[in-house]
Amino acid sequence: MIKPSEALPATRSWREIPQHVTPRAMSPEGRRRRWMEIVRWTAAGAALVAGAWAAWQVSGTVRSDPRSPSGESAAEPIGDRITLATDGVLDRGWLVRTLALPKKATLLTLDLAELKARVLASGQVATADLIRNFPGTLSAHVSERAPVLRVMAAAADGSARPLLVARDGVVYDGVGYDPAMLRTLPWLDGVKLLREGSGFARIDGMETAADLLSRAKFEAEPRYSTWRVVSLARFKEDGDIAVRTADGLTIIFGTREDFFRQLARLDLLLDTAAKAPAGQPAVREINLSLGSQVPVAFAAAQAEPSVRAAAPAAPAFPQLHIKITP
Amino acid sequence: MSSNSTIIGAVEIGTSKITVLVAEYHSGRELAIIGCGECPSRGVTKGTISDFRAASDCTQFAIQQAEKDANERIESVFLAQTGGHLEGFSNEASVNVKAADNMIDRDDIKTVCELAKSKELPAGRMVVHHIRRPYRVDGRLVPDQPENLVGQRLEVGYWTVHGQEQRLADTIHVIRGCNLEVGELVLSSLASGHMVTTAEERQHGVLVIDIGAGTTDFVLYRDGGPHMTGVLPVGGSHLTNDLSIGLRLTENQAEKLKLRFGRALVLAKDRTDKVWLDGNYAIGDRQFPRQAIEQVTAARTWELLEAVKKKLGHAFSPETCAAGVVLTGGTAKLPAIAECAGKVFGTPVHLGEPPSWVEERLRDPGYQTALGLLYYVISSRTGSAGAARKRGGFLRGISRLFVPS
Repeated sequence: MIKPSEALPATRSWREIPQHVTPRAMSPEGRRRRWMEIVRWTAAGAALVAGAWAAWQVSGTVRSDPRSPSGESAAEPIGDRITLATDGVLDRGWLVRTLALPKKATLLTLDLAELKARVLASGQVATADLIRNFPGTLSAHVSERAPVLRVMAAAADGSARPLLVARDGVVYDGVGYDPAMLRTLPWLDGVKLLREGSGFARIDGMETAADLLSRAKFEAEPRYSTWRVVSLARFKEDGDIAVRTADGLTIIFGTREDFFRQLARLDLLLDTAAKAPAGQPAVREINLSLGSQVPVAFAAAQAEPSVRAAAPAAPAFPQLHIKITP
Repeated sequence: MSSNSTIIGAVEIGTSKITVLVAEYHSGRELAIIGCGECPSRGVTKGTISDFRAASDCTQFAIQQAEKDANERIESVFLAQTGGHLEGFSNEASVNVKAADNMIDRDDIKTVCELAKSKELPAGRMVVHHIRRPYRVDGRLVPDQPENLVGQRLEVGYWTVHGQEQRLADTIHVIRGCNLEVGELVLSSLASGHMVTTAEERQHGVLVIDIGAGTTDFVLYRDGGPHMTGVLPVGGSHLTNDLSIGLRLTENQAEKLKLRFGRALVLAKDRTDKVWLDGNYAIGDRQFPRQAIEQVTAARTWELLEAVKKKLGHAFSPETCAAGVVLTGGTAKLPAIAECAGKVFGTPVHLGEPPSWVEERLRDPGYQTALGLLYYVISSRTGSAGAARKRGGFLRGISRLFVPS
């Protein structure tokens, strides 16, 4: 059947006039427009190709990046896929205990800020970074504080317990240290420990004391090994740091002069004293804080050998002058 | 320029000047005129291209000027079409409604429209516009779509405007020579008519006469839409020509006299009242009787308007044209032309005023065709501007980033 429209005569519209014009027939301005159009379209095409290439590169990078999420695996529970990178002594077990992740926790459900706060709650940790390593590993990068001194503090139940003091004055409960190493650390004396939250406030002056200790450890290790107590009792007023050795000698260091000079003087004095004839009174105190004039105090009299034997050796703990202020 | 807008150029290649307007068309039918350019016309006679190179150069200059003014590149052109080769005819068709319940469906409408538009044109003629007149259902006028109305007979009429293929191609090639695409071709009278009349006037019936330099375009509106159009290859330049012959002057001198002293009705009673040609008392400056100038211009104007009335024939009557006659175009600035037209047509006549939103510099009657071109196309269709966006799409958006400054 023929539709009415098929039987109708076709009328031609102006739209059938071909609008194609060869460049030769164009005006100079028309040719200029044509060239600019070609340039624009070429530039647009090049931009598209460049964009596609960049997108391909980025997608390739994302696919090969272990930190990028990849669907199903990111939704799996983390389980024991927790790694720790540290510059100190903490181990993975400590990290797992500290994070205390729920069994069904996945990488995508973790609140990294909150976990980081948990890690930093330990005074031993100076800085911490937690990273989701897709497909399913949680990585922790930790930098630890190094202990400089030990300090005795009263626990909540009233018993005394040893804590560690770092160079920046942070007092913390050390985890994972070798006990033999800890036994070589002198005790801190003459400071007030102030409670702050569940721990203690930072101790002022520790930077200077740590400088002295590190200098002594590396420049005069035999002398340092006899140091048992470091007192900061006169640090604030006089800038003095008092050190008591295992054999009862008190050495006062000043902070106005380089510690190296003071250690050199100490070494000279002690060598001189060691060469003294027998029966000479023992040196009781050396004050290095006054510069080249070094007052040296001697013991009043030589005790009888029997009495000397009865005298206590270096104390396991010094007589503490630490006051705990709640 | 925002990414969802198109830069459109409205180009009117007139006998005396070429006008280009640049508009930014946003989706949602918002249009902003952002640039304007014009150039005295060369190579155009009575609205048709007689010297392609000269016309092309002038058009190119006007386009460049408009683009510079707008600081944008035109993407698509709406072109006004005039010329004595344009003609129109009316064709009506009717169909019996197919459905058993006599409810008109889309197929009925499509069939009757195709029938009404199907009249074969002579060789070398091409359709410029199919202008649909209102539908009738069983003789009852239906201003909008008759779909789902009930009736036995559906009728519709079309006014088909057609022109000579070569003339149309010449005009289009002038634009293509500038490497621009013609998105729409619109009859000048429809463009200017849409601009200077209101919907209410068109509903009541109004005749718009656009008197240009080389042609006079007219459109008769009835029942809210164009009912009839026409072009006469006579315009203001014929007044100049008659003055030049009658007073033995050059074209330029006659044009000056027409602009300064021409009138559509004779006012001067005193034959001895004379006016200077230039008025600068220079050598060669002469005096002419004012009455003679007025007589020439008035007689020609009367003839021109009579010719329009004659071409309208029975389609025009003061009763069917209640809103009267609106005059526009450059020659409509001739003093007393409204009174003259009133006498010829026997209806109220006024000069066309653009809507109030048109800025001051574009309110001159000479700009109404270019303005109406934009206004008509945007308000009556979803056409080429949208099509241009579709064609360009994403890549076009990117290519716009590389527009040279």
